[in-house]
Amino acid sequence: MEILPGCVRSLHNCMDSLHEGVNTMMRIGVDVGGTFTDFCTVSDDGRMRVAKTPTTHYDLSVGFMKGLRQLARECGSDLKALLEQAESIRYSTTVGTNALIERTGPKLGLITTAGFEDTIFIGRSRSWADGGSVEANRDLARIVKPVPLIAPDMVVGVRARMDYNGAVVAPLQRDDVLEQLQTLVDRGAMGFVVCLLWSFVNPVDEREVKRIIEEEYPEDYLGAMPVFLSSDISPKGGEYTRAMTSIVNAYIHSTMADELNKLGNELRDAGFRRPLVLVHSTGGTKKMSRTRAVLTHSAGPVAGLYGAALVGATSGDNNIIFTDMGGTSFDIGVIAGGEIRLQDFIPVVDRWRTNIPSVEVKSIGAGGGSIAWINRSLGNTLEVGPRSAGSMPGPACYDQGGTEPTVTDADLVLGYYNPDNYLGGTLQLEPDLAHATIEEHIARPLGISALEAAWRIRRLIDAKMGQEVFNEVALKGHDPRRFTLFAGGGAGAAHASGIAPHIGAGRVVVPAVAPVSGAFGAATMKVSELWEKSRRLRIFEWASQRYLEDIEAFNSVVRELADLAVRDLRLEGYAEQSMHLDLDLEMRFGSQYNLTRIRAPRLYLESADDYRALGELFVIRYGEIYSPEATFLVGGINIESFCLSAWVEAPLYAPAAASLAGTEPPPAAHVGTRPACWHPARGFIDTPVYNFAGLQPGNVIAGAAIIEARETTYVIEPGWSFRLDSWRNGILESAPLQRPA
Amino acid sequence: MSAFSYSRDFEVVQRMRPEPATAAECAAQALVGDLDFDIFKHKMHMIALEGKETTMKLGASTAMRWGDVAFGVFTAQGDLAVCATGIYHHAVLGQIPIKYVVKHWVREPSVRAREGDAFFYNDPFYGGVHNADMGLAVPVFHGGELVCFVGAAVHTGECGGAEPGGTSPLARTQYEEGLRVPPIKIGEDFRLKEDLLNMLAAMTRDPRTMILDIKARLAAARIAERRVKDLIEAQGREFFIGALRKILTVTGEAARRRIARLNDGIYRQPRFMDTVGTGAGLTRINLAVIKKGDRITLDLSGTSPLVAGKPVNSFFQGIIGLAMVYFCGWLFHDLPANNGLLEAVDWRFPEDSMVNAGGEVSTSMAPVVQVCFTQGMFLCGARMVYGAIPSHAVAAWFSGFAIPVYGGFNQFGDPIADISPEINATGAGARPDMDGVDVAGAFFATLSDCSDVESTEADRPFLYTFRNFFKNSYGHGRFRGGAGAGFGLMVHNVPGLALGAMGAGARFPMTLGVFGGYASPPTFVQYVEGSNLGGLMADNRASRPGRLDDVYSDVNPELGRRSLHDIAMAVQVFRTGDTIYFGVGGGGGYGDALERDPQAVMNDLRDNRMARWAARGIYHVVYDEASLRVDHEATARKRQAVRDERRQRGRRYSEFMRDWQQLRPPAQALTYYGEYPDSGRSVEQAPAAVSL
Repeated sequence: MEILPGCVRSLHNCMDSLHEGVNTMMRIGVDVGGTFTDFCTVSDDGRMRVAKTPTTHYDLSVGFMKGLRQLARECGSDLKALLEQAESIRYSTTVGTNALIERTGPKLGLITTAGFEDTIFIGRSRSWADGGSVEANRDLARIVKPVPLIAPDMVVGVRARMDYNGAVVAPLQRDDVLEQLQTLVDRGAMGFVVCLLWSFVNPVDEREVKRIIEEEYPEDYLGAMPVFLSSDISPKGGEYTRAMTSIVNAYIHSTMADELNKLGNELRDAGFRRPLVLVHSTGGTKKMSRTRAVLTHSAGPVAGLYGAALVGATSGDNNIIFTDMGGTSFDIGVIAGGEIRLQDFIPVVDRWRTNIPSVEVKSIGAGGGSIAWINRSLGNTLEVGPRSAGSMPGPACYDQGGTEPTVTDADLVLGYYNPDNYLGGTLQLEPDLAHATIEEHIARPLGISALEAAWRIRRLIDAKMGQEVFNEVALKGHDPRRFTLFAGGGAGAAHASGIAPHIGAGRVVVPAVAPVSGAFGAATMKVSELWEKSRRLRIFEWASQRYLEDIEAFNSVVRELADLAVRDLRLEGYAEQSMHLDLDLEMRFGSQYNLTRIRAPRLYLESADDYRALGELFVIRYGEIYSPEATFLVGGINIESFCLSAWVEAPLYAPAAASLAGTEPPPAAHVGTRPACWHPARGFIDTPVYNFAGLQPGNVIAGAAIIEARETTYVIEPGWSFRLDSWRNGILESAPLQRPA
Repeated sequence: MSAFSYSRDFEVVQRMRPEPATAAECAAQALVGDLDFDIFKHKMHMIALEGKETTMKLGASTAMRWGDVAFGVFTAQGDLAVCATGIYHHAVLGQIPIKYVVKHWVREPSVRAREGDAFFYNDPFYGGVHNADMGLAVPVFHGGELVCFVGAAVHTGECGGAEPGGTSPLARTQYEEGLRVPPIKIGEDFRLKEDLLNMLAAMTRDPRTMILDIKARLAAARIAERRVKDLIEAQGREFFIGALRKILTVTGEAARRRIARLNDGIYRQPRFMDTVGTGAGLTRINLAVIKKGDRITLDLSGTSPLVAGKPVNSFFQGIIGLAMVYFCGWLFHDLPANNGLLEAVDWRFPEDSMVNAGGEVSTSMAPVVQVCFTQGMFLCGARMVYGAIPSHAVAAWFSGFAIPVYGGFNQFGDPIADISPEINATGAGARPDMDGVDVAGAFFATLSDCSDVESTEADRPFLYTFRNFFKNSYGHGRFRGGAGAGFGLMVHNVPGLALGAMGAGARFPMTLGVFGGYASPPTFVQYVEGSNLGGLMADNRASRPGRLDDVYSDVNPELGRRSLHDIAMAVQVFRTGDTIYFGVGGGGGYGDALERDPQAVMNDLRDNRMARWAARGIYHVVYDEASLRVDHEATARKRQAVRDERRQRGRRYSEFMRDWQQLRPPAQALTYYGEYPDSGRSVEQAPAAVSL
């Protein structure tokens, strides 16, 4: 399947595929989505091929292998040859997420501190709201906490206790551990999570519990069961999030191991001799054998974000808002100054607050399938979302049984989509059904025409998405108006020029790789990993009003994390000289709870001045984000947590640039006109329609216009222009800047 | 300054409903198109949300840390138009200080309101609750014209009262409640005034938290100010003013439509309190909700008089604020949360009553009075909405408070004074089709958080001895209320700490059930001075209390000078190793306990949510004690026998009333109660509702 024919041609016009015998190393990225699994291969000399197959939810490996075969065909080769030349296969898998949602994990036992057995059920009170929508969370008469991953009778407490310093207040008793362990075994535990209070400061008790379990159930016995320590999985403060991170990890561990081992065997049988590599939510890749299951959460969107950063590096954009608008969700990520940073947020995995180190890609309930409805409580006002028709039944125009009006129906009524050439003609759309449902459900109650109703639906969803994007970027301390909007996903190019004015962005890039952005990102990401540890160090003390100098304590934490990082990457097969280490610090003023993250200017401190510089840097960074008025040095400054990222230099994928043709599109690319509505007051206007595949780099098209690509439709609104750059990225620009209507 | 009297402004506090629209607002509102308005609403919500999240991120006190934050956008006249919060009363009540600023300071030559100014306030007469609730708002100007205010209100854990921790249960007058600041200008030219910050810091036990909280509110307000200005730049000042006003208009209309759907009627629910601070004392909050057409009237006639010399009084505006908690979270949960909702509400407060404080009385424990009122609101509301919206006819969340208050120095020598986050560890009320949520938060601060134990221990001198579900803490019923949390604290690694407790409901339940559901039980405090628990832990050979019910077990090995206290316990000096135990209550029950699924009863036994006596004595389930297997036939027979017994106990209403009216509480209990029995005056005979 040729996904991006034009793109592939232009990128590789002077090179061709494997069968020519060019012996360059290739990296393959694979991204599993709800509907399609995407494949992308890139090679050191700038070549790229892509493929797409339907996701086989019953067994992801079926679609995986099928897609690889298709990718090999795209390369003019066969599977064996492709795999022999593949340096790595990087996989953004949803196996773990699926196990979590479907609750197919093993029966686990939790061993915690006696007296705190209910911690995971209490869920810091508000676990009912975690992962819920704003609307659902306001309806307080109907709230429900999620079904726990571990049942209450599978939680036991051991009478050991440490305090905030890691000092033993109540010593661990072996007999007590054995008794509680037996309770869990008798109740059918197939694995154990151990999370004791303050274990992230002093893990000795957790390790002793593990030693006792392994002593009782040695590995060489059939009864051996895995043991997960919270101090290993998540050595950070906050027992609820630490426990849930460990539990989620344990819960998906065996399912992931089983499925990925099976896939690994199939790949080996097909000729792949290297280990499978997984994409992590931290923004790096690691061998499957050295991956903690929980870190694979949200890998696909995170990979897409990294892919966007690489495209941006090529196109000269380093402040990027990455968006992906699909059928049901709208993903948002931020690249600032060319960097993707971990943010101070609490990742919610399914319905569980965790503290995994993660790049944040926020997902909101908005997409082509978002349902438009009339809010009668508010006096017949129009609302769009958050409910979605999804892919089944989908929008009414899909003629799959959907009866409620959606954003896609509105786009079709407005004339933006070609009913005979939607998704490359793979799905026939029914304009009459779209019109009828908008007429019945929206236009009639509001007393307006169906055209006006469709226009309003589109404007409202664009505004909501744009405003959500604005907030997301602003909350990270950036000015969204200085960013370029990257629009991906099936509906991204159709809505980008409607969304951008609400962000203040006058420039939109629709990357050539957008249809396979996750797979492209996976193929091009670095090998990296993060190591975190909570450790409180005082930089500036309130009581004495002076800077402190705990240099050795600081360096010892860094040393501990660096040792872990270097050892881990050595085991991955990398030399120490190729490794890079970066240190982030989570800091706060006085008794604040929330932490603000800064990048440490150096790894190890050598003098009191270095120590003081951290405090000064924190004040500056905090002031930049929240305003200088908000800083409060005299209130004291603490470091609370260390985060060391280690990465390995990898050859940067640099696609070749095609030479620019003239601004005028070739006549063959202009496939005709279509009536489209650009404002209900002006009705339908004959609008030029172009075939994306026929356009050449350098071509410019002024709005209003429509460009039909196989995976998406570009809607170029009046006041916007489209330009195809040297890498076949679509550039949409407004001049002057469009303001919201 | 000629017209200012340096005394309370009784007029401004009456202005809870939207101000009459100005001519400019009316004209501007008419120009706002439907689509632009829908887009505007979402944008304003985003601005408020960013303000709330920023406030939470930067603040330091317990309420800031755990999400009890209200951020609002107010019209130029001071009406709350948009808010992001789970603590609605602070958002709604936040308009009064702003209306005060508009009335008194905007044109006062010695003060004025200019671009870059910031106003601070914590006077409970204007904030509506008590001194620990503090707010900050900034005026937003465009082209020299005042277009709106933005601001945040949050409980800061310490306000310099006679006792630490924000409430003063022993306060006799307002002068013992600590810092009291009617709206003042705390910042000019985009800078906080250091002399005023210095003064505020000097008046509390925890100056660091005080300043951080102020800066958090200000930083969030400044961000919202910038967003509003950008929006005006994009869409025009007239549009902004008109659309902001239109939010209030459509909300008021929607609220009246919602009320019109409900059955007309008078829904009465007297509620009682058992404490007047730290001592016992019976008082009554007598609520009748009169629903007629598209309006409801809250009638508090018959409520106990002012409690002089004690802190259990509330300003009437605080009661309205708490009514808004029920409105925004339950009755009107799908409508915008702003004071336009009050267009559908009238109220009637008796003069000089404990819900309409005047003079110099203390209101330090107004939150207790207000949640007691809200309990009545839930009960009236459940009956009022039952016919039209049965899924929302629910029992109340726990309505009593049971929280430690403390002050002193932490293990690092830093000053601290606050409450503990278990204020947000209460159970939710039962529903018509499901149990209430166990440890759901607090009904008045939804989306709040009860914290990790480690986060609290990290900079507070406590060692939790346990924290988990509080067995039997909820109201039983066909569906039970959600359980609350029980916890024990040991003072750790400091020589001493001033520690007490705040709440009510030790002598009789504060939280009743609905439609036959049980109340959640009373709760109280145990203090063990000179406890040997530290030694027991160090030795660690014997089991020790792991749950609240263990604390009261005959075999509890903890020794020391034990004393039981009302949940309202005066602050005392604890020494290191002393322990204190709290039970935070659960929600009310729904329906007859005899109709509860016997298996659900067993599940509660298995999960440690309930004692066996309740399975046998309340739910009348017959089961095997070892396997918890239900004997369904025997259970059905037993339940039928209980029903038969009930019928035999039944009496005619007139007979019941004849005997009931002979009963009298002891005179001592009626010290603060007021008229007993009632004068017999009906709601219909009461004066017309205040319509302001």
